[in-house]
Amino acid sequence: MFKPHYVVFSCLLFVILYFATSSCTIDKTDYEDELTTEIPEYIDYEEAVKLSIGNYNISIQALNGTLYTGYNDIRLTVTNSSTNQEVSDVDVTLLPIKTNAINETSSGPHQYHLNYNNENGYYSGYVVFPNKSDVANHWQFYIGITDVYETLTASQDINVAEQSNKNLNMTTFLGHDNDMYYIALVAPQSPKIAENKLVAGIYKYNPPANTSTTFPDPEQFSYSEVENYTLKLDPRMPEPSMGNHSSPNNKDLIQEEDKLYHGVVNYTMTGNWTLNFILINQNGKIVKGTEVPTDFTPGIEGAKSELFIDILF
Amino acid sequence: MKHLFLLFFFWGCTLSAQNTKTKQDSITVLDAVELKTIAKSKLETDLKKSVTVDEFLASSNNISFIKRGGYAWEPLLNNMSTERSAITIDGMHVFGACTDKMDPITSYVESNNLSSITIKSGQEGGQQGATVAGSIDLKRKKTMFSDQETWKGAYQTGYEFNNQQFFNLGNVSFSNTKLAADGSISYRKAENYSDGNNDEVNHSQFKKFNTSLGFSYKTSALSAVKIDAIFDVAKDVGYSALPMDLWLSRALITSVSYKQLFEDKTIKLWDSKLYYNTVEHYMDDTTRPENLVHMDMPGWTTTYGLLSKVKLQKDNLSSEIQLNAYDNLSIAEMRMYPQDYSETTMFAYSWPWVTTRYVGLSLNNALDISYNSQLNFGGSLGVHYNYSKYVEFNWIFHPGAPQEKTRLLPSLFANYNVQLNDFDFSIGGGYGHRAPSVSEGYGYYIYNSFDRYDYIGNPDLKNEVSYEANASASYKTEKIKIEGNLNYFYIDNYIIGEILSMGSPMNYQSVGVKGYTSLDYATLFNAALNLEYAITNNLHLNGTVTYAKGQDQDQGNLPFIRPLSYLATLHYQYKNLNFQTSINGDLEQVNYSPQYGEDQTPGYTIWNFSTDYTFRIKNKKTVFQVGVENILNTYYSTYADWGNIPRMGRNVFTSLKINL
Repeated sequence: MFKPHYVVFSCLLFVILYFATSSCTIDKTDYEDELTTEIPEYIDYEEAVKLSIGNYNISIQALNGTLYTGYNDIRLTVTNSSTNQEVSDVDVTLLPIKTNAINETSSGPHQYHLNYNNENGYYSGYVVFPNKSDVANHWQFYIGITDVYETLTASQDINVAEQSNKNLNMTTFLGHDNDMYYIALVAPQSPKIAENKLVAGIYKYNPPANTSTTFPDPEQFSYSEVENYTLKLDPRMPEPSMGNHSSPNNKDLIQEEDKLYHGVVNYTMTGNWTLNFILINQNGKIVKGTEVPTDFTPGIEGAKSELFIDILF
Repeated sequence: MKHLFLLFFFWGCTLSAQNTKTKQDSITVLDAVELKTIAKSKLETDLKKSVTVDEFLASSNNISFIKRGGYAWEPLLNNMSTERSAITIDGMHVFGACTDKMDPITSYVESNNLSSITIKSGQEGGQQGATVAGSIDLKRKKTMFSDQETWKGAYQTGYEFNNQQFFNLGNVSFSNTKLAADGSISYRKAENYSDGNNDEVNHSQFKKFNTSLGFSYKTSALSAVKIDAIFDVAKDVGYSALPMDLWLSRALITSVSYKQLFEDKTIKLWDSKLYYNTVEHYMDDTTRPENLVHMDMPGWTTTYGLLSKVKLQKDNLSSEIQLNAYDNLSIAEMRMYPQDYSETTMFAYSWPWVTTRYVGLSLNNALDISYNSQLNFGGSLGVHYNYSKYVEFNWIFHPGAPQEKTRLLPSLFANYNVQLNDFDFSIGGGYGHRAPSVSEGYGYYIYNSFDRYDYIGNPDLKNEVSYEANASASYKTEKIKIEGNLNYFYIDNYIIGEILSMGSPMNYQSVGVKGYTSLDYATLFNAALNLEYAITNNLHLNGTVTYAKGQDQDQGNLPFIRPLSYLATLHYQYKNLNFQTSINGDLEQVNYSPQYGEDQTPGYTIWNFSTDYTFRIKNKKTVFQVGVENILNTYYSTYADWGNIPRMGRNVFTSLKINL
């Protein structure tokens, strides 16, 4: 017997199932993936440079086993090649030097005397490379080791790669006090749409009092961490359609015990951001930087401070 | 003032009784539990036979609408927005997936799959979940088991000339002793409508497809299982008042329930339901080339729930105990595209994966104190839990805000009702809490095109606490019925957006950032007066006047409070012909709220007319209707028209309904 209701209800059921299971809709964004595709985050230290000085084998480790432009945290181990034992009782100095095509030498902010870190068993320090290695610019590490008997030195060619993570960008500028300054971002490597602890190293070049006759003379390549400055922060999105968008609850960077400058930056969404800075010295004088307008100006790219670093995540 | 109302409330509770009368018919008593309920059983209005769910709701005194276009209006119950009311489908909680409220739950059903809409004002609606304003329960059609194999159907079609809306609605049902099944299918398509100046209102078109299916199977003489599903798709829907439209929204609403009846016991019924629903909503701004930024704004909600209720009856007391539990996950994203498309897109969540869980137990009692008086009383206690997966979004404006938040939501109400001769009086009160909504608690740069601010949620918001009092009086004879209703809400910690001094807008149209905060308190007063008068047997007059006032703690006006409004309908029947004419309108909005983005809306009056004819085609009852809305082609917009978009001008509508 023909039962019309079966046909009707089967049709309806089919229609519901068809639409409910057809997948013409948009997938949800994988948020973790969204944050990491733009910026790989490196957490592992791997050997970037190795060399031997006399009886000592030296291994220098950096994140991802690569030295990049900008700030590099350095771990160095010294091994006595005859005993194959790591040593911790020697003084280690590190001097990065760049030679350009016309044989001029220069360097970047760095820690010359490395500290031995008892807890972790390595010498630690940092180097800020203002430029990468290329045909015209040739970087070398000059390493000195002083044990109870003597001071040994050696040099090693190194390769400085371009830092592709804009969150670790740096900037170099001449302050109003005519000193040469360097600001290099240290953290966060991989920012989130959140409150991010913003860490930067701020350094200045100490011009030598005398010209030198010996090479390499660390006095000619001397940098120091600036003390008790304040780095005022105003993060904004430069994209014209974002109309000079900013975020609330940011904190200016001030120096902490590790000599680095710490503050807070809030990123409200992913994309391009400009960190507008004003650097103020210990006496409250502006070294560099200008206030940026706070107006919301849709369609117009926001004005930048004369001191800024662009980031992207 | 607050204490006064508490007093009022307790007085309402303790009013005592004089006489006693037992009602024998348990069904009547069970129905009495839903007293004070405005249940509209036929989904049609005085004027129009074929209505959308929105048009139907609009015919209730308690409901007004925020309109953002021609489709998916946001129902305001007692002049309060949807956060404050519990809107459910057969008791099931469904959550819209649009941060801009483009998809209230009422947009996911269709008039031909509903049997009625139950509106309860204030805490009496607390049975459906924590609420301040009340509850709106959309009841799906049910088919009863029948001794004989029965096969029914209805087909409805119509055309509306103003927006070239063409609709086709079909229903079928089948029943025998063991099985009852029903299904519905519908499709509506409308183009842009024109306003009273005959100008086309761009982006007011819509397309909607809806289908539903229900199967009941009798497992024993007194028990049955039922499976229900509603599936709704809206596509290419314009929102003239918003800077974007809808590309696609879909909802799948399913449930399985088990019902057990009991004979000769105190417990009369046990009805349990497990449900699941999922909603997806994808906005589209590619239709708006004037936009500076192209933006994707998809949203999703998924809800699982359990409803279980028992109805008890002993002597003159009948009770309903209901367990209400659900788990909802709401996600909304925004991705902005830079003008140079090769640059990286900009991404953020506007709902950072917010989970809401609620478990509540409610008790409703109806006590027949005497043959002419009843006391309805009850309450509920709910536990409300929120979890924000990406709480770091919320920390940007509220550093250190907790990722999880648990709230206790109590509710109480009482209502005393007495009939004296032709008069009927009732007085009642209520007290209840509600938790902030997902947007209010965890929303992140949600652009509100009405006041043009980006809104930020605050996870630490306090519960909104409502103290309410209501009263009604009616006089009824054969010829005339006059009814007056009043209610007053005193709401502590009233949640509203206020301008933040920090942060800057993210959406290019906005002018600033507002954060949801709590006012100390706000008050709302609603009054309605109804008149039904049978001039002759064939000539009926209906009239309604409503008035409302909402104020914040500084006596400033709250937004979206309806000005004095009126509706009068004259109905004449001649044999199989019906004629209806009505006028309705609002007076000038006096108490508007510039502080919350409102401007003053002038008054308007609309005149409508319709006629219908009932006849039989091969013994099938058929109704044909033709009518005109806004006969004078008045150009107007109401106080709640988002961005003052004009309403529809003259509209000729026709409909044909055949009962198969």
